[in-house]
Amino acid sequence: MTDRRSIVKVLMAQFPLETHSRGLLTVSTMLRDEGMEIVLIGNALPERIVECAIQEDADVVGISTYCGGELILAAQLMKAAETRKIKGRTVFLIGGIFPLDSIPKLKKMGFSGVFPPGSATKDIVLCIHNALSSLEK
Amino acid sequence: MRERTTKEILSERSAARQTIPLFNIEALDKIKSDFHSWKRSMLNSKPLENWHAVPQTVLGSEIPREMLYTPLNIANLDYSQSLGNPGGEPYTRGIHPSMYRGKLFTMRQLCGAGSAEYTNRRLKMLLAHGATGINLLFDLPTIQMFDSDEPESRGYVGTVGVPINHVSDMEAVFDGIPIDKISVSLVTHYPRNTAILFPMFLVTAQHRNVPWASLTGSVQNDFIMETVVRSATEYIPPRDVFRIQCDNIEFVLGNLPRWNFITLNGYNLREFGTSGITEMAVAIANGIATIQAMQKRGYPVDRIGERLAFFWSCSSDFFEEIARLRAVRRLWYRITRYRFEANNPRAMWMRCHVQTSGLSLTREEPKNNIVRSAYQALAAVLGGAQSLHVDSYDEAYSVPSEESSLLSLRTQQIIQAETGVTEVVDPLGGSYYLEALTNELEQMILDELDEIERMGGIVEAVEEGWLHRKIANYIQREQIMIVNGQIRLVGQNYFRAPAVKMPSISIYQHDEDLEQAMRQKLAVIRRQRNNQELINALNSLKQACVHGSNIMAHSLEAVQAGATVGEMREAFVEAFGPWHPPKYL
Repeated sequence: MTDRRSIVKVLMAQFPLETHSRGLLTVSTMLRDEGMEIVLIGNALPERIVECAIQEDADVVGISTYCGGELILAAQLMKAAETRKIKGRTVFLIGGIFPLDSIPKLKKMGFSGVFPPGSATKDIVLCIHNALSSLEK
Repeated sequence: MRERTTKEILSERSAARQTIPLFNIEALDKIKSDFHSWKRSMLNSKPLENWHAVPQTVLGSEIPREMLYTPLNIANLDYSQSLGNPGGEPYTRGIHPSMYRGKLFTMRQLCGAGSAEYTNRRLKMLLAHGATGINLLFDLPTIQMFDSDEPESRGYVGTVGVPINHVSDMEAVFDGIPIDKISVSLVTHYPRNTAILFPMFLVTAQHRNVPWASLTGSVQNDFIMETVVRSATEYIPPRDVFRIQCDNIEFVLGNLPRWNFITLNGYNLREFGTSGITEMAVAIANGIATIQAMQKRGYPVDRIGERLAFFWSCSSDFFEEIARLRAVRRLWYRITRYRFEANNPRAMWMRCHVQTSGLSLTREEPKNNIVRSAYQALAAVLGGAQSLHVDSYDEAYSVPSEESSLLSLRTQQIIQAETGVTEVVDPLGGSYYLEALTNELEQMILDELDEIERMGGIVEAVEEGWLHRKIANYIQREQIMIVNGQIRLVGQNYFRAPAVKMPSISIYQHDEDLEQAMRQKLAVIRRQRNNQELINALNSLKQACVHGSNIMAHSLEAVQAGATVGEMREAFVEAFGPWHPPKYL
């Protein structure tokens, strides 16, 4: 993706069995109000999330997680992203409730931003723009 | 001609009633003139400018409040018609004559985490410490009706509740627990998983020779939970979910006279993102639709109403929460009495379980949550709740620890044993403020119910996306109000400490051993059962779904044949086909 659109396209999803979607919805609306284009797919298997990101040609994939299991599923997601060759071309973000020691692990996996509860919109937006411009280089 | 709405029916009835106002005209005139001269002479201009204030609280209604309430706010109050005595119509003051003196509220704390064996020990611990009911939580795969060995369940087995794949797991959870003596609330949420998990509980009882008729407890069985509040990979159409809700009810009516077959769950809807008004309007609309559907099946309101219960959220606006419980109790009475012409008092009772608001809790300075939850719990008790769960202070960011869940139970026990509030029935009844607020809330719930009924009813409102949109708008608006500080949260956005040290988050750590053990157990089950018998049972379940006969007998048969939760989910999906919920954004 060399020629970035002027409008950032964000695919928002959560892992298959998460029942709470308030966080996903809140962040989606926040980013929409920041002028981004949101594709909200809701619950999906990691492989399906990557598939949708390719179909939609998304610049950013945002994941909401609440209920644990984030390390296993995030690893699965990144593996699928690698297989489908979008890792390094698409920005991955994750937010929600997880133990704080998961943060460095998630970053190491390739998430450009990891957001625990209470993160500010401006930080998420800033993170998206920084990550996108470092991709362009 | 269209059917008259509930609001139309109730206003005709109230217009036809003769009222006997509590305050006489002479007294009111005097109060009025005194009040105006008091305002003029005693108050400088500032309080007068701000006479109305709008409390901005988490999940609040934003009803403007006056600075002072007087008899003028409830000038037409007719004691017997608006309040009455507790245990008597219109039940505003409580459903029982002596309320908590006769029967204290049930202290029903949620429980369920990790393996069946661990959950069994936690349940026994809570019972040993004086809990008087069980509230069982299932893990995410079970709630979403997936087996532990399906790809979707990867990483989630044992998360936020106990995994149940098969009837043997249910037996392990209740091992040694006297299910014929203690009331059991199965937090099944959805009609579809009620039709899966409840039969597993019933077969457990059968295996222990406990007659179904002796069982007491409840299932949630609420189609709003499955079609609106739930987030999932797959859905079935709302109309079919509503039908399963009614099938479950019909089965209980025929077999378990002491079981509450539906808990109209306002709580999760509100905590997802609606006001306390929408919470109640939607639950009531579902209650009305349910009574109508069951009447069509030949069951009178006097029987259905007896076993229908509500589940409410109790948030931070103290008086509003008390008033809301009183308002909805009176409204439910009016609906059952005047719209459905019930005669059985028990069918007119708005019986409810209340949980304090998880959404109002903060991760910043988590011990503040103990205080928040205690006030909310007190409001629920002053409002006359039948049963209570107090959220633990770490619930904003963790699965409650043993220490914090015991503290929640202690919060309830302190209210019961030390505050003295349970000695007097409806102690705030008659307060000018509370009665005015009760009236206003009842009217607002009724107005929103009217909006739903004009769309054709709650099933149509869900199909059309009205409720989905309402939630999305509410969440967005509330989030902005929290971010810009209009809604104040002490320690988070108000009097925030200069350096906030966030507590570490301890959520249920994924237990790979448990996940593997559950998968292996399933493999053995799938090998050892009679699979032809199972296929036949699942086919007859699908047939019942398609042809419209009650599904519950077939669900029981499938469970007895060793069906797993995931296999039964698939049977429902095959029979009813997919539904795509309305888009939020």
